Amino acid sequence: MTELRPHFHDELAQLESDLVLMGEQAAEMIEAGVAALVAGDVAAAAAVVERDDVVDDLYLGVHSRWLETMALQTPVAIDLRLMSVILHVNSHLERIADLAVTVGKITQVSDGLPHDPTLVSHIQEMGDIVSTMVRSAMGAFAARDLDGALALPEMDRPVNRLNRNMVREVARLAGDPELLEWGVRMMVVSRTLERAGDNAVDVAEQLAFLLTGEFREFTDASHHD
Amino acid sequence: MQVLATDVASGPMTVTLGDRSEPAADNPAIFDVDGLNVHYGDFHAVKDVSMGIRKNEITALIGPSGCGKSTVLRCFNRMNDLIEIARVSGSIEYHGVDLYGPEVDPVQVRRHIGMVFQKPNPFPKSIYDNVSFGPKIAGFDGDMDQLVEESLTRAALWDEVKDKLDGSAYALSGGQQQRLCIARAIATSPDVVLMDEPASALDPIATLRIEDLMQGLKEDYSIVIVTHNMQQAARVSDRTAFFTVDVEQTGQRTGVLVEFDETSKIFTNPGEKQTEDYITGRFG
Amino acid sequence: MAARTGAVDTAAIVRQSIEGRRFSPGGAAFEAGLLLMLLVSLGVLVTLLADVITGALPVFRDRGIDFVTSGISLDSSTAGVWTGLLGSVGISVIVAIVAFPLGLGAAVYLEEYAPDTSVTRFIQTNIRNLAGVPSIVYGLLGLAVFVRLVDLIGLGGSDSVGGRNLVAAGITLAVLVLPIVIITASEALRAVPDTIREAGLGVGATRWEVVRHHVLPSAAPGVLTGTVLALARAFGETAPLLVIGVATGFFSAGSAGVFERLTGSYTALPVVVLSWSRQADPVFKENLAPAAILVLLVVLFAANTAAVILRNKYDRKW
Repeated sequence: MTELRPHFHDELAQLESDLVLMGEQAAEMIEAGVAALVAGDVAAAAAVVERDDVVDDLYLGVHSRWLETMALQTPVAIDLRLMSVILHVNSHLERIADLAVTVGKITQVSDGLPHDPTLVSHIQEMGDIVSTMVRSAMGAFAARDLDGALALPEMDRPVNRLNRNMVREVARLAGDPELLEWGVRMMVVSRTLERAGDNAVDVAEQLAFLLTGEFREFTDASHHD
Repeated sequence: MQVLATDVASGPMTVTLGDRSEPAADNPAIFDVDGLNVHYGDFHAVKDVSMGIRKNEITALIGPSGCGKSTVLRCFNRMNDLIEIARVSGSIEYHGVDLYGPEVDPVQVRRHIGMVFQKPNPFPKSIYDNVSFGPKIAGFDGDMDQLVEESLTRAALWDEVKDKLDGSAYALSGGQQQRLCIARAIATSPDVVLMDEPASALDPIATLRIEDLMQGLKEDYSIVIVTHNMQQAARVSDRTAFFTVDVEQTGQRTGVLVEFDETSKIFTNPGEKQTEDYITGRFG
Repeated sequence: MAARTGAVDTAAIVRQSIEGRRFSPGGAAFEAGLLLMLLVSLGVLVTLLADVITGALPVFRDRGIDFVTSGISLDSSTAGVWTGLLGSVGISVIVAIVAFPLGLGAAVYLEEYAPDTSVTRFIQTNIRNLAGVPSIVYGLLGLAVFVRLVDLIGLGGSDSVGGRNLVAAGITLAVLVLPIVIITASEALRAVPDTIREAGLGVGATRWEVVRHHVLPSAAPGVLTGTVLALARAFGETAPLLVIGVATGFFSAGSAGVFERLTGSYTALPVVVLSWSRQADPVFKENLAPAAILVLLVVLFAANTAAVILRNKYDRKW
């Protein structure tokens, strides 16, 4: 088999590898953001916020090279689907990094407030699962592993469950005003992590589309597990 | 991407690429090809082709050179008869009639199935005579002026030549000459127009004009086009047939049909790996 | 390109390699040699022409057009080329009538209808061979066949002439030029691009309709030119006529009608030249013969010019 469009296909490979880089950054940022929050480390939180620049640079680079490739190479079939997937995944990963930044900012703002260890452990759990989900989705993407992609929704369930339970958990803290304030902020963090998880599932969704040619939404907001 | 009825209760949204909402039942086949084989002497040019060409559609035949797409095209109007050593086996039915039946007159066939060639080849005569020749020898005794005007209008050439119908056809530009050849082909009122790489000798603007013209012609004629330009097939056709060269142990190179489907499907999610490899440029 | 990069002056190097005329002595000598050959060839032709003209000049100076309009005579002061001219024209007409349809028909069949088999190719090769056969052979054929044939079918002349007349001569020369007509017509037909035939067949024309409406009109200039050139060739043929039996001496047509002129004795212009150049009377040999040659040359020149004009007229770039 001869490769007749090496320049084009190299460009595609390059775009993919940039996405893999972004994915790793995003996963690490989630990890670091949650760790900073759990340890109450404001400096570490600030570092997470700074790191977003790296991801944004990658995002812009991928986007502009994507446009150029689209105009110059007229991709079809699997190349076309890959281009569509690259565009979407680029967006989702950038989003995940932004969500990590939100976690970092909330950590900075809630410096000095008391915290509830149960809630903290829930958030830690959510953070662990979400960063694993991001790595898992991107790993499946690199390996073109359909089964790996299909496993993502299942991984998302505990995250959703933990998020839903947050309301009740925070309501428990009603007695102490400062604790309550912290609790409400933690609800935002929980929601943020839940959305990061959804974005990871979206990445897997895109991979399934690439491999099957059929777009199926894995989870729908209107469906409850 | 088309969204089917979003029924919330029915589960997650599923969309398949290349869906077309028109059912196939009301679009009859003009040509029904079954097990078509073409030999030139000992050379097996085309092997076991089976496909159906539908009415009022543009069907594109694509594939690398030597894959037999022009050979298959020329079977539809019996132009292969002109090659002494050509032998056609299998069957091609035209409106249910065997095109190669013993009672069939190839000359009559070519009045119903017109052809436009790769290099524009108008007769060395006036524009008027170019268009009127076919109907004249077919015995047309109606208003020839009107027929010529109608044919030229349908070929999007009338406005440019209406004041110089007696002028030489060779005085026209390449793109105009090709449109003249289209007018000439449709003057005999065929129901099929075969086009063998009609735009490959033309510049990009002239090419786009021909493609635009084809969309209009589709309403009255069924069109089968051979093209080596994949993008053109993608732009212009409703269905695409992908042919390739099968190399046997003997070294003989024979053309075979790999995939035949709706164009949108072929170019977004083809069923065969060979098709995908060819159109994405990973072809060997 | 004007960059001076320190010690390297690009412009100077380039100038050195592309400027300056190169003189090649071999090339110049070759060109001179070719020119010399051209001059020699022209020189020969000019000498011949000058020789003819100096001989013919007195005749035209003294008698003018009377030379052309007078018939043959034993008297050198009244002899003219008229009889010979009439004979040659008559022969040419017969050649045209016989060779053109036969030749064109054969060419059309060979080019448009005959399948490409070894038999067809064999025939085409042999037609070419026939074109190269010495004309005297055709004379012998004419004597053996056409003279007798003409006599048999009642076109023989009275008295001892029998079939040795203009008709037989015409047929014989027609057969002589037939291969030429076939070959030139074939070339003209072959020059019509196949795309035209394809286009014609593509709109549902039969092979005959394609030939009649498209191929022949397109090939017409070439076919016409070929025919005119063939006629010019026939006009100048002498040897076959001598074999068949042409009058070389004096004969009188007198008050004969057309039929008698056609079927009786005749002569042709080249034969007149031959017979005059053999006469004892020096006037015949040195003046009248060159004058007749001049008339012959004028006719041939006119024929070739006509061929060129015809070609240009019909060959307009469609």
